[in-house]
Amino acid sequence: MEKGIIAIAAALCGMAGCVTGIFEGKVAIHAVDAIGKNPDASSKIQSMAIIGAAISETCAIYCLLIAFLLIFVLGA
Amino acid sequence: MEIQKTIYSIIIVTAFMALLLLLVNKALTKFDPLSKPKGVVLIVMMAYDFIDGLIKGAVKKKEIADKLVPYFMSVILYIFLSNIAGLFSIECPTSNYSVTLSLALITCVLIEVCSFKVKGGKSYAKGWFEPFAPFVVMNVISKLSTLLSLSLRLFGNILAGGILMSVIYQLFARVSALIPVVGNINIVAIVLAPFLHFYFDLFSGVMQSFLFTNLSVNFIGNEIPNEE
Repeated sequence: MEKGIIAIAAALCGMAGCVTGIFEGKVAIHAVDAIGKNPDASSKIQSMAIIGAAISETCAIYCLLIAFLLIFVLGA
Repeated sequence: MEIQKTIYSIIIVTAFMALLLLLVNKALTKFDPLSKPKGVVLIVMMAYDFIDGLIKGAVKKKEIADKLVPYFMSVILYIFLSNIAGLFSIECPTSNYSVTLSLALITCVLIEVCSFKVKGGKSYAKGWFEPFAPFVVMNVISKLSTLLSLSLRLFGNILAGGILMSVIYQLFARVSALIPVVGNINIVAIVLAPFLHFYFDLFSGVMQSFLFTNLSVNFIGNEIPNEE
C-alpha cells in the first residue's frame, strides 16, 4: 500500500516533464524565428537558446531528483 | 561490499580512450605540415577547430581560452565514448552518478578559478556578496545548483536511455515469443532495435556530450567580462 503511494508520488514528479517539454520546444521555435530574421547573429542566438533551454530544464531535473529520492530512499 | 558493474566499464572506456589517443598522437607526429591533411589527422583538425570556435565564442580572454581547449576536447571525447558504450553492450560509465558528479565538480572548480584569475582576489571575494551582504546564501545556492543541474542532466538522460532500452528488449522478447517456430530467437529486436539504438545511444549521446561541453564553456564565459 505504502509503496504504491510512493510510486504515484514519483510519477507525479514526472509530470513536470510535460510542461518543460512544451516550453523548451518554444525556446527552439523562437530561436529559429530569431535566426530567420537575423541570420548574422546566429551564433549568439544559438548559445543563448541553449543556455535558456538548459536553465529552464533545471526545473525538470530537480523533479527527477525528487523522484529518484522518493524511489530509492523512501521506497527502498 | 559489491563492486558496481559500471566500475569495469569506466576502466574499459578509459583504457580504450588512452589507446585511441596514443594512436592519434602517432599519426599526428608522422604528419607532414605541408601536405594535405586526410584521414585521422583531418578528423582531429576538424574537431579542434570546432571546440576552439566554441570556446573562443564564449570565453573572450584569449590566454584562458587557449588553456581550456585541451581539457574540453578530452572531456567531450570521454563523455561521447561513455555515452555510446551502451552500443557495445557494456554499461555506460555516465549512468553512474559519481562520474557525472565529478565531471560537473571539475567544471564548477574551473568556473571559480577562471573568475578568480580574471577579476583578482578582492573583486572575486566581493562577487560572493553581490548585490549586498545577506545575498551570500543565494550565491552559494546558485553555485550548487550549477553543479546539480550539470551532473543530473547528463546522468538522468543516459540512465533513462539505458533503462528504456533494457525494458524495450524485454518487450521485444515477449512479442517475438508469440511467433511460432522461431520464437526463441528475439526476431523483433533484430529488426527494430537498431533504430532505437540510433536514437537513445548515438543521437542522445552526441547531444548530451555537446550540451555538457557547451554549457560548461558558457558558464565559464559568463564569469569573464568582455574586453571591449
